[in-house]
This record gives sequence, C-alpha cells and structure tokens, in this order.
Amino acid sequence: MLVRMKYSKTSAGRFMSHLDLLRTIERIFRRAGLPLAFSEGYNPHPKISFGSALAVGVTSDGEYLDVELREEAPLELLESKLKEVSPSGIRIIELIQLDKREQSLTAQINMSGYIVKVPLAQEITADKLEQFISSVMAQPSLCIAREGKKGIRQVDIRKGIYRLEGKIECDEMVLFMEVLTGSEGNVRPEEVVEILRKTGEIQLREGMQIHRTGLFVKNDAIIKTPLEI
Amino acid sequence: MRNMRTVLENEILPRVVKPLRYVGTEYNSVKKDWDSVKLRTLFAFPDLYEVGMSHLGLRILYHLVNEQPEYLMERVFSPWTDMEQALREQNIRLFSLESYRPITDFDCIGITLQYEMSYTNILNLLDLGKIPLRASERDDTYPLIMGGGPCAYNPEPLADFFDFFVIGEGEEVILEVYEIISHHREKRQGQQDKKILLKELSKINGVYVPAFYEPVYDNGTLSEIRARENGVPARIIKRVVRDLDKAYFPLKPIVPYTEVVHDRIMLEVLRGCTRGCRFCQAGMLYRPVRERSAKLLAKQAEELITATGYNEVSLTSLSTSDYSCIKPLLKVMLDKHEKDKIGISLPSLRVDAFSLELAKEVQRVRKTGLTFAPEAGTQRLRDVINKGVTEENLMEVTTAAFEAGWNQIKLYFMIGLPTETFADLDGIVELAYKVLHNGVRILRENGKTRQPKITISVSSFVPKAHTPFQWERQDDIGLLQEKQQYLKEKIRDRRINYNYHDAELSLLEAVFARGDRRLGSLLQKAWEKGCKFDSWTEHFHYDVWQEAFQELNMDAHYLANITTAYESVLPWEHLDMGVTKEYLWQEREKAYQTAITGDCRFNECSLCGVCQDLDVSLVLERKDGNANAGTHEIL
Repeated sequence: MLVRMKYSKTSAGRFMSHLDLLRTIERIFRRAGLPLAFSEGYNPHPKISFGSALAVGVTSDGEYLDVELREEAPLELLESKLKEVSPSGIRIIELIQLDKREQSLTAQINMSGYIVKVPLAQEITADKLEQFISSVMAQPSLCIAREGKKGIRQVDIRKGIYRLEGKIECDEMVLFMEVLTGSEGNVRPEEVVEILRKTGEIQLREGMQIHRTGLFVKNDAIIKTPLEI
Repeated sequence: MRNMRTVLENEILPRVVKPLRYVGTEYNSVKKDWDSVKLRTLFAFPDLYEVGMSHLGLRILYHLVNEQPEYLMERVFSPWTDMEQALREQNIRLFSLESYRPITDFDCIGITLQYEMSYTNILNLLDLGKIPLRASERDDTYPLIMGGGPCAYNPEPLADFFDFFVIGEGEEVILEVYEIISHHREKRQGQQDKKILLKELSKINGVYVPAFYEPVYDNGTLSEIRARENGVPARIIKRVVRDLDKAYFPLKPIVPYTEVVHDRIMLEVLRGCTRGCRFCQAGMLYRPVRERSAKLLAKQAEELITATGYNEVSLTSLSTSDYSCIKPLLKVMLDKHEKDKIGISLPSLRVDAFSLELAKEVQRVRKTGLTFAPEAGTQRLRDVINKGVTEENLMEVTTAAFEAGWNQIKLYFMIGLPTETFADLDGIVELAYKVLHNGVRILRENGKTRQPKITISVSSFVPKAHTPFQWERQDDIGLLQEKQQYLKEKIRDRRINYNYHDAELSLLEAVFARGDRRLGSLLQKAWEKGCKFDSWTEHFHYDVWQEAFQELNMDAHYLANITTAYESVLPWEHLDMGVTKEYLWQEREKAYQTAITGDCRFNECSLCGVCQDLDVSLVLERKDGNANAGTHEIL
C-alpha cells in the first residue's frame, strides 16, 4: 500500500535535519505498529521518500512524504494511529492512498510558498513597501551570488519568483512569496530578502523567521497541492 | 518578563550548533505540572546531551521518579561552548529541558559521576546556574546537590562541592532520599534547614554526607577519616538491587529528536561481572552478578520496541556473552522481530568462539563491527590481570569471524599494567600481526579480494579505587609515551590501524581516581583557568592543568605514580562496596604470583565478601551459569 502524507514541522520540529526527520518518521510508523516495506540488501531501509528537504530552522505547514506499507489498512485508522505517536513538533495533517507509484514527490513538486518575517531597522509605510516590491518585481532580471563547487557565480532568480507581496506588522516586514522549488531549480527565501536588502532602499535587521506555507505542483496558472493531483 | 522558551527558540537556538540538544519535548519525555508535586528534582549530566542521553542510569532514574505522583524529575546537560557563550552574554541561567526553568528553581539536583574527566564540567554547570560552587557557601535557599554513579565510590576530590553522595545502585535508594527531603520541606512550609536535613539523610543506608567527615593528615599523609558529627555511620555501605526482575526498568524511554551516541533501545540483561579482571573497577563495584529472566527480557524488548519505534535493541551489560540464557533469548527475539528489520546488538563480547556464534546470529538483520578486548599481549600478563583469555581463544574467534565474512576487527589493549615489560608490548605487536595474517589467508582462500582491517586501540592503565590494583602506581608519563611510540614503530602495516589514548589525560584520570579531598582546590583552580570538556580532545589543555598544579604546589606525577602499602589509609576507606580490602589485597598478591582466580559462577566462591556482607547472592537464569550448554526453551 502506497501512502502520501502531509505533515507540519513546528517548534522543536524545525530544528530537525533531514536525517533526524527520516529516523523520526520511521519511528513514528513503527510506534504506530504499521508494517513498513523495506529495501533489500545488507542494510535494509524503509521505503520512505520525501518532497523537498526543508532547511534547518524553517517551520512548515505543508510537508509531504510517500511511504510504502506491507499491508493494506483504512486511511482513517492509519491517520489516527500515526497522530497518537507523533512527537511534539511533527503533526500529521492528512493521508491519501496512491493507486500506483507515479512520479516521485521530488519530480512533481515545483513550487514553495513562504512567509518570511524580517525585523526592520528603519520604519517604512505600507504604501512605500508595496511600491518598492512592485519596482523590484518589474525588473527583467534579479541576480544573486551563489556559492558552488567552482566558486561564486551569479544566478538570475527573477523567473523563479512567481509572487511577492509584503506588509508591515509592528516593526517587522512580512513577505509572502511563491518561488521555484525542485528539480528545475530552487529559489531560497533568504535570497529574495537579500535582493530587497541589496537595493539599499530598505533597512533590515538580522534574525529573519522563515515559514513554509506549503509545497505545490504548478502547471502554468494552475496550482495544486501534492494531495490534489 | 518574556517567556524563556520563546526567547530561546527564536533568538538563541537558531544560532547554536545542534539546537535539538536544548529543546526538550522529546517523545516520551515527561513534563509534569510544577505545582502538583511535593518535590522538584533535576538530573544533571555533566557532558553533552548526546553523551548523557546514551546513559541507561539517567533513563532508569528519570522515569522511575516521574512515575511517582509526588515528585518530578527534569534534565539538564552541559551546554556546548557556543550555547554557554550565548547564555552568559544574555545573562540567562542554565535551565532544565522540560520546564525551561533556571536550575536554581529545583529542590535537589542530582549530578551523575560517570568519569573523572567530567569534573570540571560539574563546576561549570553549577556556575552557569549561578550556584556557589562549594557546599559551605550555599545557604538554605539553594538546591541540595547530590552525587551518584561509579565515581561516587571515591568522591573525595568532589567532597567540597557536594552536599551528599549516594553510594551504590541509584534506583534502590533514590526514592528514600526524596521521601526524606520532601517530608523535611513539608514540615517547614517548603523551606529547608540544610544542616538538619543532611543529618536526616545520613541515616539512610548508602548516603554519605562529606561535611560530617574529616580527613586527618599526619605529615601530609592521610592517617584517618574521622566522623566529626555524632550519630553518623563510621562506614557507608553501598546499596544494591537484589533481584533485577523486580527492579524498576523504564519501558517508555525518551526518544531523542537527534542522533545520540547510543541511539537504540538499551535493555539491561544482567548486572555485575565476576570474571575478576584485576584492573576493572566496574567488575568489583557491581557485584554480585544478577541476571534478569529471559522471559521478562523478551517481554520488555517487545514493549520497548512498540513504545519507542527504534529499529535496534542493544542487550547491555558488562559482558553480554556471559548471560546464561543468551542463545534462547536471541532466538526468541530474532524470530519475533526479524520481519520488521529490528536488529540486535551485543556491545560487549568475550573473546571466544561462543561469542562469535552469537555475533553470527544477530547479523541476520544488520552487520556490525566486531570488537574484542584481550587487554594484554602475553599470556603471562593476561594471567597477572586475571583476564581469562588465551591466544588460542583470540585466534579461534577471529578465524571464525573472517570465515563468516567479517573483515574489520578491533582489539583493545592496555599498557602500563603492573609488571609489564617491553616483551609484553612485543606480544601486542605479534598478536596484531598474527590476527592480520590469519585474516589475509582466510579471506584469500574464500576468494575475497578485500584485505582485512585490524584496529589496535591502546589505553593506559589507570589505577582505580576499590580494585586489586588500587595500590599500584601508574607508569611515569614519559614511559607511557615511550611505550606508545614503541608500538607505533613496530606496527607498520597499512592494514593495521593503531591508535592510543592521550597519556596526559590518563595521568589526570589517575590523579582524580585515587585523589583525596585536597584535590578540590586543584579542580576549582583548573576550572577557573578555563578547563572544561576535558574528555574532548579539542578542549583538553594539559598546559593549563600543569599551571594549576604548580600554583597550588601540587605534583601530578607524585599523585599518579605513588605505590601505597596495605596499611595506608586510602581516601575511600570509609566507603564500603562489599568486596573486602583483604580480598582485594589477596588478588593483588596473586597478580604478582601470576596466579589466576576463577569466576564464582563456574567455580567455588572466591569469598570476595559481597554476598557474605551485603546479604545478596548470585542470580543466574541457568543454575550452572553455563551459556554454552545446550539450548532450552524459555517461553
């Protein structure tokens, strides 16, 4: 039985590395008494595959994984069993059954949504922020420096930013963004903030908080979640 | 005041290495309502989270105490240096993982004493909690500071800093201790009168209040440890669990978010070891051998797997191949859990063919490395230390291992043992090559192209309190280093990986392992100069320790390299762990006669004194204790 699971990562959960998460998910399934399917070989691994890996320190309301079980069971039962044995910081949200193994999550997912809170070093009005963001988004190219194996190179991320909006909350700028994720490339929310900072038109402090609202499958204007396709 | 957890989670944890060390809230961790209990206690492990969470003792006591409705126990570990810096900069007191409360909020802090080189971390931990280091500087408003664990059998170097120590097996006595403290506080509207409370605690068997005893020196030599308070016992006798089946064992242990050193279920199959190695402190302290019944173990394993979700069960003890029902236990566990790919690991295997049979059994699921400890390079020296292992045993077990497909074998040795000569070091080299060449031959005959890989890990002998070698000196550090280099020059084969422990660290271990109360000021001096995490290579600064010795006019070499006489008063003489001083001395004499002493499980009683004096006895699943004999059903 092939299951796709949506879960969230909050509080302590956000400090888990991908490897920590992998072990934790395996343990959740074992505690729930659900029979995981394993790979063959000397060091058998459970057949669990994840969507896009989440950076350490980032919270999320919409993470996904696919898992194969050796036996069939009703989804409601799976869900209630898994919820009961999840640690604080990992919350099981929804499960669906996949009929057959189609494309992997990593091949399907191509967009992430983020909310980023950045403390302001200088006040700015809502109107000005809106104008500022529109002017940035109006540019044909937005280049950031990425460090790769061959040293630092310039990358244009403009086409990977699908939506960018902002508002002011107390002394923080709150950004809402939808960006490219997955096998075609990744735009990191810190890079978008860096673009804004680099213009010199907005003064930001250190200590941003990044929250992923979800992972999506975008096909031109149609956006679906990995549970909907 | 802002909520401490919010401040930490949003501002501090994102900036430190491995924040999961500090978050608490792990699965099966227990956070009780602070106001619903009579007594709030803290378990402090003076090392990193990953080390402390690998310790079975913490898990036993944590869950035992939290299962009592009237008490709560939370945890704290040494913060790594980046976290320490953040806490000091922001003026935040060290806090407990469950409630995120400053450690001063607790009524009693129990600090576990697992190894000497964690002592500076103890002082650092108190300081991070803004708790005065010395017991005499702490008034009634501070938490009581309790110590326990193997190093509590010679707690004198720490005597100035602790209010009391618990000698022996903690689960046997901790609730009695908490009962007294909570009763005392209840009578005083939640306050304590430390002097009276300590007097009450000293009435419990196994509790040692150092302030009630005074070492007397005669020309710089310890001549007596005198009780200076009326009504306190002259000798403190260790507490010991009689029946492991009836002892508390946690079946819903905490599952850390992040990988810890021993990241698996730890199931204790037996306690104690009577093989009688003469250098081994654990072998003397944890007598007698008490096995848990196989039926209970199989049941506990099942419950633990369900409660934790771990995919590996480690059958722990000082020597798991000695468990008399090991074969039937393995069979039952493997048959039951193999389909879920749950592995079993055997962390401490004896050097013999039987152990390899067991290793072959458990690798049905996962293959792990193999480690054996012959300890010495010649039969003569192995007889001196009473390590009942022969070269034939070693060749047998390694032959079987290579034949079964292993190609990596690790061997532990010790240098600087009493009576050792360079011929014994040559013995280590010869054994290493013999195992290697045997492996090359077997792998080739079996058509394998891989070369064997032998690791020779060499530690330096540290004389420990309460062992037959407690009177022996450690080799001079120069000689230890010379021996390490001697081996290095003789072991020149890229298929043999030779490593050795820092001799400077071993020297300090020897100083503290046999140290007396005067070492307290040395410890404090070293800590003041910045020493902490001494067991972490990157933090160990021997030159700073040397400065501390010099400033106090103390001589490390003298302390470590002194041989004492039977008549000398030892700093731990008033602490009684059951095995008699006469027996230890007799074992020392036999060492010098190269005479061996048999294991009381298979031979006659060696009259070590534990069963006679503490009213306990061997508990074996098979009455003859012989695990090698045919299998029998356990369920």
